Amino acid sequence: MLIKIPRPPKSAHDPTRPATSLLKAQVDHMHEAERQLPLKYRTDIYVKALRTEADAAEYIREVTEAVHKAHENAERMRRVRERKLEIVAAAERPRRKSAAKTKGKGKGNAKLKRK
Amino acid sequence: MPTGLDQLKHIVVLMMENRSFDHMLGSLTAVNPAIDGITNDLSNPDTTGTQIKPQALAEFQSQLDPDPDHHFPAVDLQIFGGDTSAGRQPNMQGFVKSYFNQQHDVKHSQKIMYYFAKEKLPVLTTLALEFAVFNRWFASIPGPTICNRAFAHYGTSFGRVDLNPLYINEPFKSIYNRLISAVPKRTAKVYYYDTTSSTMEVANLLQNQPELFGTFDQFVKDCKKGDLPDYSFIEPNYSDHETDAGEEIASDQHPDHNVQAGELFIATVYQRIKDNPELWGNTALLVTYDEHGGIYDHVNPPACVADQFTASANATGTGAEFKFDRLGVRVPTILISPWIPQGTVVDRVFDHASIPATVTKFFLGDYSPRSPRETNADVFIEPQNGAGDPKRNLLSLTNMRNDCPDFNV
Repeated sequence: MLIKIPRPPKSAHDPTRPATSLLKAQVDHMHEAERQLPLKYRTDIYVKALRTEADAAEYIREVTEAVHKAHENAERMRRVRERKLEIVAAAERPRRKSAAKTKGKGKGNAKLKRK
Repeated sequence: MPTGLDQLKHIVVLMMENRSFDHMLGSLTAVNPAIDGITNDLSNPDTTGTQIKPQALAEFQSQLDPDPDHHFPAVDLQIFGGDTSAGRQPNMQGFVKSYFNQQHDVKHSQKIMYYFAKEKLPVLTTLALEFAVFNRWFASIPGPTICNRAFAHYGTSFGRVDLNPLYINEPFKSIYNRLISAVPKRTAKVYYYDTTSSTMEVANLLQNQPELFGTFDQFVKDCKKGDLPDYSFIEPNYSDHETDAGEEIASDQHPDHNVQAGELFIATVYQRIKDNPELWGNTALLVTYDEHGGIYDHVNPPACVADQFTASANATGTGAEFKFDRLGVRVPTILISPWIPQGTVVDRVFDHASIPATVTKFFLGDYSPRSPRETNADVFIEPQNGAGDPKRNLLSLTNMRNDCPDFNV
């Protein structure tokens, strides 16, 4: 059974329609989210001036993309930090080994000297 | 004997916006009397005292403008008809009065009683008649969108009855966080339409991007590859906007957005799942609406167990506090799976807290802490571990149906 669905007319699309209370609430939520982002990710859009659906949509897009970017950068930084820790850990291991060898040879070892 | 429940691997929820049960599905009583929709004895008084009957005159757009009020005080008037006495009971007699308050136009206020003729909504009415339609699925709160959607994500709105945005550091985890932090780990995703429409679940967007979020394009790809997470929550397009690809029309059906665009979106979600035969056999799709949007429905919302939060008299705007001990107005809800017998009508009481309750019980089993409202909410899919009652299993067929409809999307 194939059911045909009528498409909405082209005139149904109206981005100049005043933003609904829901869209305004979403803008408020996004504004709250934007305020929690580091300064470099924030938009310079004045939310109280947003009137139409297109205005609201544009702001919502900018903040959503900023949140994405902030998360991506934070993730990248986390990976860099983890990599650095791995390198440091790897570098420290042989150093300890050679220190032990030095201890074994009795050069400059305080404990051995005290003995 | 194994039933469809034993095949189930994915649960998908699509939550639309602001339409009541009678408005969208009320016409179906004429087709199947078991569906509790529009009958001849229903009416609401207008401000002149004239009784206004529901009429099948609903239009796709430009009729419910301005957007009918559905904030807490307006819904209180719609449900109780203006009765503020201590022992009051719901009577669903205040819808026309409430809409009149916005424009003071008697004729215009009567339009809140209009419902769609069956032929105008081929997608929603077909799905309701073909699969399981819920006669008693209510919004969680007699109030607006965000707090109702919160019940679908958290099983509570943490005491809020308004559009207050963020639910960070609250005592109960979202269903998504429960799943991704489970051992063994489960998968979950919120698919919003695109970055311009984005999500109403901003708290999780901040905390769990990108693990928990994808766009609708991603959903379509995931369906094709058979890569859907265990649990998916889909958000429609909330705004008319432009993208590089062209015009995007709002598909949420929120007044005054075009209802046909929403029909097309619902059909697309359904069809993309159905187009992958393996996915179709192991997925259940729930289509529901966050709240009634101020539009007429005739069924009294029942009392329910109180939540552990209370909204102050100041927050409700009615002069009385609210203990979250009554559900909101009834909304259209349909459960879709090829394992559901055609023409199933469910009379048990549900609300949006049933969504995290069901998903939690199905994928994680016993879980705490959860809100009192969620703990007491009924589940629409029985757990797979054999603890469920076979009589309550909606995916009860032992052979998968091959007569399910297709839409030209």
